[in-house]
Amino acid sequence: MTDTVLQFDNVVKRFGDRTILDGVSTSVQSGEIVCFIGPSGTGKSTLLRCVNGLETIEGGAIRFEGTPVQAKQRSIIDVRRRIGMIFQHFNLYPHLTALENVMLAPVIVHGENRKTVEERARGLFEKVRLSHRINAYPAQMSGGEQQRVAIARALATNPHILLFDEPTSALDPETVGEVLAVMRDLAVEGRTMLVVTHEIRFAADVGTRMVFLDGGKIVEEGNPREMLAAPRSERARRFLSTISNAAH
Amino acid sequence: MQPYYFSFRSIYPYLGDLAAAAEVTLLLSLLAIVLSVAIGSGIALMRRSNSRLLRFFAGLYVEVMRNTPLLVILYIVYFALPQLGLRLSSFNAALIGLTLNSAGYMAEIIRAGLVAVPSGQFEAAFSQGFTRVQLYRHIILPQVFRTIYAPLGNQFIAVILASSLASAVAVEEVASWMQTVGSSSFRFFETFIIAAVVYLVLCQIVNLGRIAIGRWLFRQPEAYR
Repeated sequence: MTDTVLQFDNVVKRFGDRTILDGVSTSVQSGEIVCFIGPSGTGKSTLLRCVNGLETIEGGAIRFEGTPVQAKQRSIIDVRRRIGMIFQHFNLYPHLTALENVMLAPVIVHGENRKTVEERARGLFEKVRLSHRINAYPAQMSGGEQQRVAIARALATNPHILLFDEPTSALDPETVGEVLAVMRDLAVEGRTMLVVTHEIRFAADVGTRMVFLDGGKIVEEGNPREMLAAPRSERARRFLSTISNAAH
Repeated sequence: MQPYYFSFRSIYPYLGDLAAAAEVTLLLSLLAIVLSVAIGSGIALMRRSNSRLLRFFAGLYVEVMRNTPLLVILYIVYFALPQLGLRLSSFNAALIGLTLNSAGYMAEIIRAGLVAVPSGQFEAAFSQGFTRVQLYRHIILPQVFRTIYAPLGNQFIAVILASSLASAVAVEEVASWMQTVGSSSFRFFETFIIAAVVYLVLCQIVNLGRIAIGRWLFRQPEAYR
């Protein structure tokens, strides 16, 4: 039996008079790896950012582990403490070393003991294969390394779900692989993950479900392999053929 | 032009007073610097607040302080406030006036530093559950002070030089030493030149101190940008 971690009910998001999310409903079970794909500007990233209240929603509701996500309420802090997010541009704290980046939130936000946190952080650096870069500053690291530190930083607070917002889109082609490899490891551990990505192969290999968004709506969702092999909707078919053409 | 024969020797008797005066200038300036950085930070944060009212008052403060002469502010604090029953010593009045004035400039420098922090930093911190206070304390302000550390130095020097106006409210600092000794010894060139050199040295000391503290605070090498 699985628990529902995240529930979207008819979520509407507008920027001014532009509707970005136009009634999105779906839910995420514990252990699922849901990959959001679709043309750019269709609200994939926005949907992700609504989950932890980086964006407010104009309509509908989002529930995370039963708690309503309300971006403007104090309760959002409690929601965010249980969610890890990885950004396209890493957003590491540039004044801190890799180790300090990973340790900051557990120590400051969660009030954990520094020693315990450092021990756990070192373990995380091993997991993302960066033990040798522990004392480097973000500016001294490659994009791939920075993104792996960002993953370690997100894991440091033992989140119940991980949000990946185009984690490889800002990387050089040769470093994409190292980040995807770490994400595969996380998938094997059974982590619940929401991934906005253009890496169709990753989505097919690792994802447990694929959600195709277009025009702020979920057009189609299902098993990634089946969806890739035979998309039901015309729009998904067209999008996937463009992407796979570009990949070859 | 007539010839002028320098005689620094005739200033010797006043050098003891000069040391005391330099100490007052340094103390007054350092206190004003520290206090105005603190107040300026507060004003700068208010200027980015969500509250329209806070933003308005912070903006008003900055404009008033940047567009009124320090001398007028010093006069108000020292000569006018006593009429309301608030009597301050020369030193305290000068410290308050200098601090209020400098805080206006500090606020603008710090605000520029705040604007320079990418929005991704706020998002990363919010996504981790930082409160606003934790965010500024641990993530934003450390970055701001790195960015503005050099322009801050200019303002530090401006404070030291502006402290010479404290002589107008009877603080016995270097400028007041200069006026007193100049008019009693009639050695204007000598006293004025010595005063200038003292200010130059004090500014250099504070600036070198700032750089040393910066090296220690921001231990990071070339890496940061």
